[in-house]
Amino acid sequence: MIRVEHLWKKFGRFDALRGLSFDVPEASAFALIGANGAGKTTTIKILMNILDPTRGSAALLGVDSRKISPRELRQIGYVSENQDMPSRLTVEEYVAYLRPFYPTWDRDLEASIARQLRLPLERKIGDLSHGMRMKMALMCALPYRPKLLVLDEPFSGLDPLVRDEFMEGLLEQAGEMTILISSHELGEIDGVATHVAFLDEGQLLFQESMSDLTGRFREVQVTLEIEAARPAQVPKEWLEMRAIGNVLTFVDTRFDENGLSERIRTRIEGVRAIDAQPMVLRSIFTTLARAARDGRT
Amino acid sequence: MVWHIFKKDWKLAWVFVLVVSIVHWIDSAIIYKLGLFDEDPMLEMLADAVPMLAFFGSMFLIGAIVHLDAIPGVRQDWLVRPISRRDLVVEKFLFVVFMVNGPIFAEVLLQGLANKFSLRLSLVAAIWQVTFLLFAFTLPLFSFASVTRNMTQAFILGCGCTFIILGFQTIASYLNGRAHGTLEPVPWSAVGWVGETARFALSVVAAIIILGLQYFRRKTLFARAMVLLFGVVLLLTQFIPWKAAFAIEQKLSPKPGAGSSAVVAFDPRLEKFRSPSGLRASSEQGRRYYVGEHSSVFLPLEVAGIPRDAFLLTDRVEARFIGMDGKIAFHGIGERLEFADEGPNNATHQEIQIPTSVYRDIKEQPLRTQVDYSLTLFALEGSYSLPALGGDERMPGFGWCETKMNEAETVVELRCMQPGKGPTCAMLFLENKATAQRNPARSSCHGDYSPYTGWYFGDNLAHFGANIPFRDSSGLAKFPVDGPQLPQSRVVIRVYRPEDHFTRSLVIPGIRLKDWEAQ
Repeated sequence: MIRVEHLWKKFGRFDALRGLSFDVPEASAFALIGANGAGKTTTIKILMNILDPTRGSAALLGVDSRKISPRELRQIGYVSENQDMPSRLTVEEYVAYLRPFYPTWDRDLEASIARQLRLPLERKIGDLSHGMRMKMALMCALPYRPKLLVLDEPFSGLDPLVRDEFMEGLLEQAGEMTILISSHELGEIDGVATHVAFLDEGQLLFQESMSDLTGRFREVQVTLEIEAARPAQVPKEWLEMRAIGNVLTFVDTRFDENGLSERIRTRIEGVRAIDAQPMVLRSIFTTLARAARDGRT
Repeated sequence: MVWHIFKKDWKLAWVFVLVVSIVHWIDSAIIYKLGLFDEDPMLEMLADAVPMLAFFGSMFLIGAIVHLDAIPGVRQDWLVRPISRRDLVVEKFLFVVFMVNGPIFAEVLLQGLANKFSLRLSLVAAIWQVTFLLFAFTLPLFSFASVTRNMTQAFILGCGCTFIILGFQTIASYLNGRAHGTLEPVPWSAVGWVGETARFALSVVAAIIILGLQYFRRKTLFARAMVLLFGVVLLLTQFIPWKAAFAIEQKLSPKPGAGSSAVVAFDPRLEKFRSPSGLRASSEQGRRYYVGEHSSVFLPLEVAGIPRDAFLLTDRVEARFIGMDGKIAFHGIGERLEFADEGPNNATHQEIQIPTSVYRDIKEQPLRTQVDYSLTLFALEGSYSLPALGGDERMPGFGWCETKMNEAETVVELRCMQPGKGPTCAMLFLENKATAQRNPARSSCHGDYSPYTGWYFGDNLAHFGANIPFRDSSGLAKFPVDGPQLPQSRVVIRVYRPEDHFTRSLVIPGIRLKDWEAQ
């Protein structure tokens, strides 16, 4: 559905993207995660042909992003945290304006989404709160049942209630839609994303399915018989190693239930107990972000 | 989808459109109320200010319309919508034309009709005005607005461009002064329209390139570079050589060859030029009407071969004084002259101003002199008359005119209005109907041979007129038709149309400039 190959984007002397490559499979919910300034929005803007790449290519729906035409745009929904819409039109007027551009626009679906998101149709867009505007952007992106939905930081600045409404609205309509979602709010994509790609300073650190990712990360706690100390040789897949009293903790990024005990015991003496707990996405992200910052990935 | 986008823009911009339209119509109402004699000082003041307001209002309106779906930027929702770029640019163009030029069209049309001109004349004037504004104002501003994101950006860039233009004009004006007026021959001349038309053509090319780059490729940086490039080229059009511009005018002569018999010859037997009494004759003294650091020479000329009921106007006089070594000692502009057929002794003097510093060096030297004349022969087109006092006539083919005496009771004021372009040249005189006596004719020419008409400000109705003297308050001159005769007198207007544009070159093998100073 989306293919990004060796994508570079320079703003003056600053490299916003540095050879980024990833693939978004069809019908997946692909999360592009990374800290602020990692290059998520730039990637999306290149995909949507809002920005030109400096080098490399990006294609969506099989078409080079630089050549996407109204035909492709009719199949793409786009929601961004900073989308400028005509502030002097009412929600209803703007939706009415958009309808004729989409032959597949479903007015019943539009009404249903508007109800679900509790949007004040008669209010001017300029008078809407940020949350309302995000919900409106979602409402303008769904009624034509796009094949691809691109969400750029959709949860930014939303209060929890609005976030829930937004997510409910989104998930209800998702169906076979491919979703590309960028966020640094990891809690929000947990349970939504099927695939994840992690960006740092314009580079892709990894891309994999959510199940693989959560499967290979474990927070490991090793209880020792003696005072814990950092082993002389630590495998590079063990991150954030800490020793407190007789307990040694670390994050195993290549978790293997069968081999873990042996890998620990060959490196650490006096192991009394080993406990490996699954990690939430937020913890995985922060672990990776710190490792990236420290140059350990 | 063009109409669909049009409706959206109307919803967003109708208040602004209405406000700007109202300003235009207020301007029209003021001009109508002022009539021919502009007698109300308050209205006169408003008539100066309101057109400016309307002009800037239209300018900002174009910006606002384009910025409704701005091209530069990365946040606009329309960028991710399946909106055809072609539809968008067509819609913007149409919206700008209808909402900016439309009210101006209505303004000119209503102004013409309100002043009781025919629908055809009013309509033609309105069409010319909007066509002129389309090329001179709307299209360039539309292109300019398309490279800006919002009004703030447009204002900043606009200020930058204005600064560059003013700087360029200042330098060009300085250089033109140094070149004695030979550097910028075309602007403000009778063939100024050639440069203007070149600018219109460039504006169209620039608009196609800039709008194409913006709406179809969104290459704002490149488009801005194009704005700058075309801006510079547009500025350079003021240096179009006179010969090229006048050659085009010659090609467009309505009656080529009509002036073939006209001869301009140097005649040293004629009397030297005499300064008006009370002024010193020395050529190195600044005269009342000359710049102080200039000296003048007056070459005696004989002009012949002007057909009856015609007169000859110099559009440009370019003089070169060449030393015996072949070097040009001075290259400058001579005074413009008018010649009418006045019998066998049709003599006049060609004044050429020379900076005093140059003149001192060359006045004693023998010089080869070459004077190049670009001339236009005017033929009588029609003759009109109206009472000298209280006249109020609508003259088909000329326009609506009124006459009255001024407060000092020295001149008859003639004021006229005509849809479109006024006459290029006219001769006016007072004539006593009973005695057939007439005062000397006064010519009134504004050199403009443009085949079109249009103004940046106000309506497309030519307001013109002249003051025709009948009494000299100093008592020195006596007019055959004077004050007491005015009730039986009429103002006669003879309108002339350009027939032939041609050149004549006058070469004098060797003269000493000092010999041709004023006496």
